[in-house]
Amino acid sequence: MKPLHGIRIADFTVHNAGPFCTPLLSQLGAEVVKIESAMRPDAFRKPHPVYGRMGPATFDQVASTKLSVRINLKKPEGVALAKRVVAVSDVAAESFRPGVIGRLGLGYEDLKAVKRDIIMLAVSSSGQSGPDRHFAGYAPLFGAWGGLGEMTGYADGPPIEMRHVMDHTVGMNSAVAVMAALHRRRATGEGALVDVSAREVASSLLGEALLLAAAGEEPHRMGNAHPRMAPHGVYPAAGEDRWLSIAVDGEAERQALREITGSADLSDEALSVWTRTQDANAAAECLQAAGIAAHASWTTPEIAADPHLRERHAIVEVAEPDGKRRAAVGVPMRLSKGPEIGIHRGTPKLGEHEDYVYGELLGMGREERTALEEAEVIY
Amino acid sequence: MPDSSPPLSGLRIAVRASGVAAAYAARLLSTMGAEAILLEPAEGSPLRCEPPFLPGSEVSALFAYLAAGMRSAVVPDGGFGGLLSEADVFIDDTPLAEREALGLDEATVARRHPDLIHVSVLPFGAHGPKAHWKGTDITVLHASGEGYLLPNGLSCELFPGRPPVKVYGHFAELQGSIAAALGALSALWVRPEAGGQYVDVASQDAALAVGAFAIQRLGDGSVEHRVERSFRYGGVIPCADGYVELLTLEQRQWHGLVELLGKPDWSQDPALEDSLERSRQGPVINRHIREWASSRKVEDIVREGQKLSVPLAKYYTPAEVVRDPHEQVRGLFQPVETGAGVFDMLVSPFQFDGAPFALRGGPPALGDYTGGAAR
Repeated sequence: MKPLHGIRIADFTVHNAGPFCTPLLSQLGAEVVKIESAMRPDAFRKPHPVYGRMGPATFDQVASTKLSVRINLKKPEGVALAKRVVAVSDVAAESFRPGVIGRLGLGYEDLKAVKRDIIMLAVSSSGQSGPDRHFAGYAPLFGAWGGLGEMTGYADGPPIEMRHVMDHTVGMNSAVAVMAALHRRRATGEGALVDVSAREVASSLLGEALLLAAAGEEPHRMGNAHPRMAPHGVYPAAGEDRWLSIAVDGEAERQALREITGSADLSDEALSVWTRTQDANAAAECLQAAGIAAHASWTTPEIAADPHLRERHAIVEVAEPDGKRRAAVGVPMRLSKGPEIGIHRGTPKLGEHEDYVYGELLGMGREERTALEEAEVIY
Repeated sequence: MPDSSPPLSGLRIAVRASGVAAAYAARLLSTMGAEAILLEPAEGSPLRCEPPFLPGSEVSALFAYLAAGMRSAVVPDGGFGGLLSEADVFIDDTPLAEREALGLDEATVARRHPDLIHVSVLPFGAHGPKAHWKGTDITVLHASGEGYLLPNGLSCELFPGRPPVKVYGHFAELQGSIAAALGALSALWVRPEAGGQYVDVASQDAALAVGAFAIQRLGDGSVEHRVERSFRYGGVIPCADGYVELLTLEQRQWHGLVELLGKPDWSQDPALEDSLERSRQGPVINRHIREWASSRKVEDIVREGQKLSVPLAKYYTPAEVVRDPHEQVRGLFQPVETGAGVFDMLVSPFQFDGAPFALRGGPPALGDYTGGAAR
């Protein structure tokens, strides 16, 4: 049984942080209606030159398992149509800059007027309140504002920019918050405005460093070092650009490592002399057998092919419209009573599911839909 | 009027945590109103001894953050039944090999507590050929993709021969936490129909999930590598007194950047109106941006840039985050007693109905919970 069967989400989210929330919920059984338009198609339908993608994506992880309808929100009739979708939904999700959705006439109060107990998820760079609420931002900026970027990097180098993992961490946190709001609605009958600040999600990943700073300390980036474990780091393995991550916890493990390497010296330099002669995967297995945490630094193809991840359905195969098969990432959990969770539909075509959403859910006739298409409302 | 009670009021969580992933999963739920009881051995959870420590004390800052608002019950091995019978959710990171002897394996817990949501959180999960593998944050990060892909941008340019560098702290483990919280709430949602169930979470799977675009790009025919995945222009920009992050994705943001730079001659090349051409000329553009920024201060660049809607951010230190006026207005931090003094602690990265949540308190003293089945 998919646990969220029966939950419907009107999805206005754009870019990555918000859109990563709703496919998680859709893989868990929620019905997610992605609202977009030909005027402002989703980022994955366009080239993304800053990332070096010179054409549209043929598969989009964050759009998979969603339904797609077209609505031109620049027109009042489009806003009215969007409200009709919200009226049959449990959750409305958006990730515009604060204020934009309200100016469109689709703010929380507007939506409550059409669905009293609606849960509205608002994902933004800095939250819906505070002096920086208007700031524009993307994943690397969330990490910078939140402190995670400053704390990540070589001790003698610059900070590091966080990439998509930052966006998607925001999305996964958002999914948790939405679920909490649904539970409250079940208990109280009340909806909620859920405000997720991406920079605060970044900060939540370094809570102990922030606590130290509040206590007057000055925590700083420390590369791959660990405050307790040693050796702890990423070491060169045999082959071009091959690496082995090792974390040694306690004297018993250090002794085991000495026996494996044949050296009493466990400095990073000495350990690297041994690791350079080792196949990364074989060495990881050897160290694991001795009770030491180790893993090869895997490239993406290695991950996509891993039998463990495939057995767990963390990596799944999906089909593109032309039938080509490719690896995708499943929702990160296994449920004893929900083995069918996961991606069950690929990337939707723009407006692919209007017969279902407009016809079946909203009860709109062909004539009404045609009129709205001609008026570029369904567009 | 919206209901102002925390969303998970009335929910009871029991958590057995020797690592970050299980503990933070319970912390997330606890901060939203659930009552969380940390089940500890007589000597306390190992997390209590995990550095860093608050100044002048033996109080773990990590434990204080993870366990804030929880209660602690000292429970002898095998004596978990009473507290589990009172709980809605049990979150556990006990290694697989030890579970059966403790009566904490999936089958035993399901038989004794049929309505319990039993959430297992392990580095590589409870199922699959690597389920018994030992994992820490750095090894899980490298087993899930992002480990190999960092650093990128400026750091990669400066230190091309160095090993990959990890994300600070417990990034991969915390992804396991968030996935576990999501799994717990999803399984609870369907409990009226399905009863209790087992939720198997791997920090590896969760860290992979947030790095999903690398797998997506692999399907497009591109293998991501830390050297090549730098932004074509923008990224970490060194300034006179620190660093800013710059990322312009939209045309109007590019125009704002040109304005910020003072419309230099090179930027007026009509070819640069095309985003694809800008991508091709990225290294040249970046050279100009870095030269311009090198003599300017971070605060000035960010202030002027944001006025022009150019996505720019200062790289804040932890102290700057704690002092940030924006976060003070939003109530991101709350003073709590940590055992080493009262300090501001991050509460939650999300809010409901325009108000922050509130922590019940700081980390628990060992065995401070004496209610219910722990008596």
